[in-house]
Amino acid sequence: MKAMLALCLVLFLIPAAMMGGQPVDTRAFVQLPVKNDPTIAFRLWFKVGSQNDPKGKEGLASLTGQMLADASTTHNTYAQVIDRLYPLAAGYTASVSTEMTIISGRVHKDNLAAYYPLLMDAVLAPAFLQEDLDRIKSQALNNLETTLRYASDEELGKAVLYNEVYAGTPYGHIVAGTVEGVKSITLDDVKAFYKTHYTRENVVPGIGGGFDQELIDRLARDLSALPAGSPAAVPVAEPRTIEGFRVTIVDKDAPATAISMGFPMNVLRGSREWYALAIANSWLGEHRNASSHLYQVIREERGLNYGDYSYIEHFPRGGFAQMPPQNAARRKQIFEIWIRPVPREAGYFALRAALREFNHLVEHGLSESEFALTRSFLRNYVLHYAPTTMQRLGYALDDRFYGINGSHLETFRKMMGEITRDEVNASIRKHWQFGNMHIAVITRNGAGFRDALVAGTPSPITYKTAKPESVLNVDKQIEVFPVPVKRENVKVVPVGEVLQR
Amino acid sequence: MANSFFPYAYTKEVLPNGLTIFVIPMESPGLVAYYSIVRTGSRDEYEPGKSGFAHFFEHMMFRGTEKYPGPVYDSLMTDIGADANAYTTDDYTAYHLNFAKDDLEKVIELESDRFQNLSYAERDFQTEAGAVYGEYRKSITSPFALLNEKMQDVAYDMHTYKHTTIGFEADIKKMPEGYAYSKSFYQRYYRPENVVLVIAGDIAVQGTLALVRTYYGGWTKGYVPPTINAEPPQTGERSAGVTYPGRTLPVLDIAYKGDRFNPDNRTYVAALLLGDLAFGETSELYKKLYIQEQKVDILDASIPVKRDTPLFEIVARVKKEADLDAVREAVYATLLQYQTTLVNARRLEDLKRRQRYQFLMNLDTPDRVAGGLARFVAITGGIEIVEKLYAAIDAVTLEDIRTAATRYFVPEGRTVVVLKGSLQ
Repeated sequence: MKAMLALCLVLFLIPAAMMGGQPVDTRAFVQLPVKNDPTIAFRLWFKVGSQNDPKGKEGLASLTGQMLADASTTHNTYAQVIDRLYPLAAGYTASVSTEMTIISGRVHKDNLAAYYPLLMDAVLAPAFLQEDLDRIKSQALNNLETTLRYASDEELGKAVLYNEVYAGTPYGHIVAGTVEGVKSITLDDVKAFYKTHYTRENVVPGIGGGFDQELIDRLARDLSALPAGSPAAVPVAEPRTIEGFRVTIVDKDAPATAISMGFPMNVLRGSREWYALAIANSWLGEHRNASSHLYQVIREERGLNYGDYSYIEHFPRGGFAQMPPQNAARRKQIFEIWIRPVPREAGYFALRAALREFNHLVEHGLSESEFALTRSFLRNYVLHYAPTTMQRLGYALDDRFYGINGSHLETFRKMMGEITRDEVNASIRKHWQFGNMHIAVITRNGAGFRDALVAGTPSPITYKTAKPESVLNVDKQIEVFPVPVKRENVKVVPVGEVLQR
Repeated sequence: MANSFFPYAYTKEVLPNGLTIFVIPMESPGLVAYYSIVRTGSRDEYEPGKSGFAHFFEHMMFRGTEKYPGPVYDSLMTDIGADANAYTTDDYTAYHLNFAKDDLEKVIELESDRFQNLSYAERDFQTEAGAVYGEYRKSITSPFALLNEKMQDVAYDMHTYKHTTIGFEADIKKMPEGYAYSKSFYQRYYRPENVVLVIAGDIAVQGTLALVRTYYGGWTKGYVPPTINAEPPQTGERSAGVTYPGRTLPVLDIAYKGDRFNPDNRTYVAALLLGDLAFGETSELYKKLYIQEQKVDILDASIPVKRDTPLFEIVARVKKEADLDAVREAVYATLLQYQTTLVNARRLEDLKRRQRYQFLMNLDTPDRVAGGLARFVAITGGIEIVEKLYAAIDAVTLEDIRTAATRYFVPEGRTVVVLKGSLQ
């Protein structure tokens, strides 16, 4: 059996070599060898993402990725691909973000010989069959029309925020696209997109774990069979300036109110200011962590919801992930505050509570004790960002994206010993501001919410159970905290229309 | 202790008070995973009106002690940069932390303290109830949450699996009234005989055990087992519908009563493989309904590892409501086929191979090792069962698969729930 597999490999390699493409330069590879790791992790980065979706074809990058990873190849039908991967306990997936597409998979060394040709087939020899596209399109539409619109209000809130903050730029639609965009995508669109973007000049192969040089050389040779070409670079997204509070309210029969808000940010990881802001952000709202100040104020002291967080980098699928994602890197970032669903009657109050805390931070900065504690926290906490080889490989690719010499995670830890409180507070003043922000709200009675916002109506809440006097006193300030919103800056959209085009 | 299947040597110790500890040293760059597994979950909520309480109580475990009140506990955890969290299931509750190895003693001190000396005011208890209700609100927008709630309610009569882990909404609303009950819950269930520690990562065995003895040695016994009614055999087919408020594709959920986790039960072990063979991605039915005809976009089947009678569930999300009956009939035809025909030997071997490699590949960080063992620890009190389970899986024959299909898939043991959206 082993001899047969080896023969298959040789046969497979010949056509690639005969095509005459130059092997992909192994210096372009991102390598992360781990001596005793019995597995090998692949992350093939193609420099393409939803920012490359043509106008009217929003969702094409995502669908094309899936047409590689979840569909037939010229050698195997999709069913045969599954059959062959199955006993190997291995697979591969396509992960598409705004600027990056990663075809990734992990395999035990014992199964590498059988796995590798299947992975190469997925990238080099997609069949692009209509029946596969039909299946994948139908899933994509169901995701937009039912799952996002109806089954996860917090993900919907984030999607609306991301689309609004970067509206009119290549970042202005979520990776999943739009209903009309996805509907319009044809097989020819997918083929053309592949030919343009899945080129040997556009790939950065990442490999980690227990691999050897022979595998690197083979990968370099095989990837030379990709189409040739350097696709035109997408200009850096330049969002319009947000003046005042802009609000998009999605009106739906929601059991609770979900809120996301934020503004564009220009600071990227690798710069000293980014690490300074990381300290401020972690204090304000470390993702899924009780150390988040917003969490303490809204959940821990008041019991209004399940959690409240903030971000200085785009963080897709926040409701499902405990730690930050890899390979969602972007040249322009977003500052975001996320308030998980609160009871409808407390929606406006929670919005005010979060903005009041943010405003206080912008005006006063971090205190010495807040700064010291958060810096100490992050120094160790970043160790949990990437415990596996696959995750560290993802970070290594992101380092390449951001042009970071060395490792972002190591720099992060090092910076926690260097950055001063003054630097943190200076970065806050320079990059954060209160008053110009987009707010996305998913709620019932959207018009009522709008009217209250525009009028600045006080939003007192009552608790079913006793609360300390200190909390009630602060509540009196929160319920009238000014969030000036002009009527012309509020859109109320029925849920059936959101993500449509 | 050396093993043939589980790749790491480990040491087990049981303290005189009944606390069981597993220490699993493994290569990891300075990281440690620390799991405190309480063998109590929503299954143990046998008193009326108390559904969801095990989960609620999990939240209260973060509210502190007299020595380390909640904010102090939070700030100490923050200071060491621990990744600390917890989750509750039907059969157990797990408190888990990942942290740098230098902080081992601090973590052991803090963990042992809250397990022995938890203390919170009624006001904090009531506030936390609000957070739990918030968790319910964010979860219930998923059609599958509604479907599960209905399925468990209809399929069970006597056993506490009748309710979900998050609990009934009516009970969640009443949680703020349960302060006194929460004290009793802690006294009865948070006892050393009912808790297992699994500590994995960059650690020394003897040093770790010495610290555990020091900090947990004074914890007193006192576990009071709950009275859980056995679920009587089901004697007739049941069916129900549930309407999701919003838009969703219809979901068909077909369930049969199975057996509790027991690697000595050949039929049960065969059933663990049966779901994947009959409905998994290499099955004929998956290829027909998902790939060729594209009538479903989800098809899945499995029997879970549970302390008591579980449900063998087959779930299909159907793209067009008009196809619901055809999909249901196709599922039944597949079940019949597995009762009458032996499965292809190659497919069975492929699946066994897949299971072995999946298990091994998932053991690559301390957190995954300790977390991956948690359910086995909760159900059996130890991790030794893993060896036995994989040996039993290896021994499953084609005939065992057919026997499992014949024993489990009987119409009188069946419950069918169909979920549809209120909007088209």
